[in-house]
Amino acid sequence: MNKIFNKILRCSVVLNKSQNVYRMGPVAIKNNFHTTSAKCDLMEFFDTKKNWSESNIRVGRAWKLDELRIKSNSDLHKLWYVLLKERNMLFTMEQECNAKVRLFPNPERIDKVQESMENIEKVVRERNIAYYKLETGETGERPVEDVVNLIGLQEKYEKKEYAIPRFLNSRWVKPYLENGYTNSYAIKKFLRLYKEKQYNEKRKARNRDYNHVQQLLKRFPDMDMELLKAEYPNVDIEKAKRTKKARGNYMPKY
Amino acid sequence: MSTRWYPLYQRGNPQLRVFLPNFWMKLVRPTPKQLPNIVNFECSMEMTKYDIKNYLEKIYNVPVVDVRTKIAMGKFRKDIGKGYVVKEDDKKIAFVTLPKNMSFEFPNIFEKVEDQDDENMKSLDDAKKSFKSYIDRNKNRSDVPSWFSI
Repeated sequence: MNKIFNKILRCSVVLNKSQNVYRMGPVAIKNNFHTTSAKCDLMEFFDTKKNWSESNIRVGRAWKLDELRIKSNSDLHKLWYVLLKERNMLFTMEQECNAKVRLFPNPERIDKVQESMENIEKVVRERNIAYYKLETGETGERPVEDVVNLIGLQEKYEKKEYAIPRFLNSRWVKPYLENGYTNSYAIKKFLRLYKEKQYNEKRKARNRDYNHVQQLLKRFPDMDMELLKAEYPNVDIEKAKRTKKARGNYMPKY
Repeated sequence: MSTRWYPLYQRGNPQLRVFLPNFWMKLVRPTPKQLPNIVNFECSMEMTKYDIKNYLEKIYNVPVVDVRTKIAMGKFRKDIGKGYVVKEDDKKIAFVTLPKNMSFEFPNIFEKVEDQDDENMKSLDDAKKSFKSYIDRNKNRSDVPSWFSI
């Protein structure tokens, strides 16, 4: 990884240099501009030979979003392929280490590469949205709609393309026209039970809190009431104080 | 493209171009012995034969003659503590044929490490021997600290 960062850094340095040179004359670019030669081979699937016997391979950190935002599109494109190859290399080495029952040195390298790749994708997406907004006024993202799904619950539906329009799709439209989504017996029953379950969960939580507050009042009668109120906002503390459960084995203060 | 969601149809029906492919491939050791110009890969499940060919030719600059793929089913095993059945993930395995004049041999990565292992074992044996002799020496005087000696 270090090597890759160096490579990329070198690339960016070279690019800057060429920009400066450009003021002098376009001929100078040709001489100064160079990229590291890509070694294209199946051995690229393996780490460098030096690292084969290492038990600890020190690498840098992942690329941050802010670092990637100032790069050009072509730089990001190049970096993507560098990271892709690095990831393939790490996967290959990990596989081989597992097969030979050896310790794979520094497995967090994979996570770092993965994070860098996710960040690149995020930046590209940002640029895509910005471009679409400027050109069309829309984000260009996949449209999302709120729908009621087959079991009568609210769902986010990511729209997709179909070969035929909705009204021609008889398989979809027939049950919908006959019953509607929430009109069938089975769905009504499901929703009734589902609501009951949700209500029971709420009720149990309420009772649990109430009982717990009573026990707390019994154990610590001089505790900070405001703090207790903040901790359990739904419990009526005055009511909880006067219950039998909250009374300890001592004379009550009220 | 950055949404990783491709339209069914676009005007003019242009060829699909992938700018940031997120496919992965790993080179694996072939289990039975194979011809020297055949290389085994494990790859993303979504990859087609054409994807594999293009991936190797465009990104790694490796000439490819033929690609065959298979999906190997993951093994079923019983969980050790609980006893329920666990299935490992399926894998897509690609057999890539290189041109006749090319050959690829899977390198032995742990050659040096194996040498080190022998040395490590030797030193471990030495340590064991010296500990044994120390125990034997102090057999008849238990509860005496190790520094209490000539």
